[in-house]
Amino acid sequence: MSETELCEAQATGENGGEGWEPLILTFCCYWCAYTGADLAGTSRLQYPTNIRILRVQCSGMVHPNLVIEALTKGADGVLMLGCHPGDCHYLEGNLRARSRAEAISLMLEDFGLEPERFRLEWVSASEGPRFAQVVTEMVEQVKQLGPSPYRS
Amino acid sequence: MAARLAEEWFAICGGCEVTILDIGEPLLDLLAKVQIVHMPVLMDHKLYGQTGEKAEMEIPEAEIGLVSGGIRSDEHKHLAQEMRRKCKTLIALGSCACYGGIPALANLCSTEELLTKVYRESVTTDKNGFPHEEIPVLTDRVYALSEVVKVDLMLPGCPTTPEMVAGALTALLEGRPFPLSSKSVCDECPTIREKKAVSALRRRLEPPEFTPGAPVNQMRCFIEQGFLCNGPATRSGCGGSDGTPRCIRAYMPCEGCFGPLSEKANPMVDMMGALSSVGLDPKQISDRAASFNRFSGAGRLRPVPKR
Repeated sequence: MSETELCEAQATGENGGEGWEPLILTFCCYWCAYTGADLAGTSRLQYPTNIRILRVQCSGMVHPNLVIEALTKGADGVLMLGCHPGDCHYLEGNLRARSRAEAISLMLEDFGLEPERFRLEWVSASEGPRFAQVVTEMVEQVKQLGPSPYRS
Repeated sequence: MAARLAEEWFAICGGCEVTILDIGEPLLDLLAKVQIVHMPVLMDHKLYGQTGEKAEMEIPEAEIGLVSGGIRSDEHKHLAQEMRRKCKTLIALGSCACYGGIPALANLCSTEELLTKVYRESVTTDKNGFPHEEIPVLTDRVYALSEVVKVDLMLPGCPTTPEMVAGALTALLEGRPFPLSSKSVCDECPTIREKKAVSALRRRLEPPEFTPGAPVNQMRCFIEQGFLCNGPATRSGCGGSDGTPRCIRAYMPCEGCFGPLSEKANPMVDMMGALSSVGLDPKQISDRAASFNRFSGAGRLRPVPKR
């Protein structure tokens, strides 16, 4: 998956020391969130560069093991972005994502991670500013939490 | 010449040894081809020699070594290493040897906590010290056999199936490999799946819906009926030549006794994913770590940090 990307970014950020920058893996659904991110880019909106976007066909594809694996293998946070409920291109993929997000939040505790390191948000294709805002908020939050305990 | 066979048991109930007996008629053919040289459950072969003359515990050399049970004490550890030294091929028999099994649920507590509970805090117990004279010291947690020594073949299951034991031993004697299934129980389960739960989570005490006597493929998937079934995160193979998994055949949800699909798999994450995917509420599962690692606690379960 994005393991090489994660390692690469890990190498650039010192682990929690001076100049540490969080690394946030972002799952964007193809139909809404990824297009929203595209809009944020073409609108020249500013947002932190700490995120790595991974395009998926639907947020309903993101199984909990992908999120847990990212967080235990070097990511400091994971964002999951999908279409607003009712707008899913595949009718109910995002509802499935919401149900899974609950399971993920519960399990973060089992892995010794703060629940704030994972967030599910709805970003539509026309919400470029919202995409920039969600990313900025998430980066701020993870910066406050500090590096993931799994970074060694 | 008959192949020599040594068997040793550690933290286990003995069910897997019964499985060997359960092979039935094919066992007669097998027994002609092997010579049992050491098997505490079956024969009086003492580790320190018949009169206790040896200084060290010794197991006779053998071509095939069968080990059941996880490692719970330093005696188990020592014997496991001795088995490895003396046996050419070492087989982990049953889920306890493969993944820690039921005894590995104790890994949810520290050894200290366990001893305190059993010897001091239990209501019916006189508050004495921990036993320490002439008994082996407990290890810090339950280990699977493969965490202590190299294992050549794993035969999971609680207990493992007679068909599998016979198959593995025959394959070994004929010099053939005996690969385990790489599919999940769900892959071999014939029940009807529609990817949507028809009920909220239910307790196991409630009966599932099925027509007694009707084929299993006319029944709805257990998870979709709201029962915790470990099928999605469990290795298949329990059904043997019949195909249909053992518990499913008996109209019961999978317990997960064949263990996880791979060494690195995390059954809890997979199961939580599977349950939430069909729309069940993950918050209702009160003990997810133990429920989904019931047979694979060695290396996967650890004491829950106090908050």
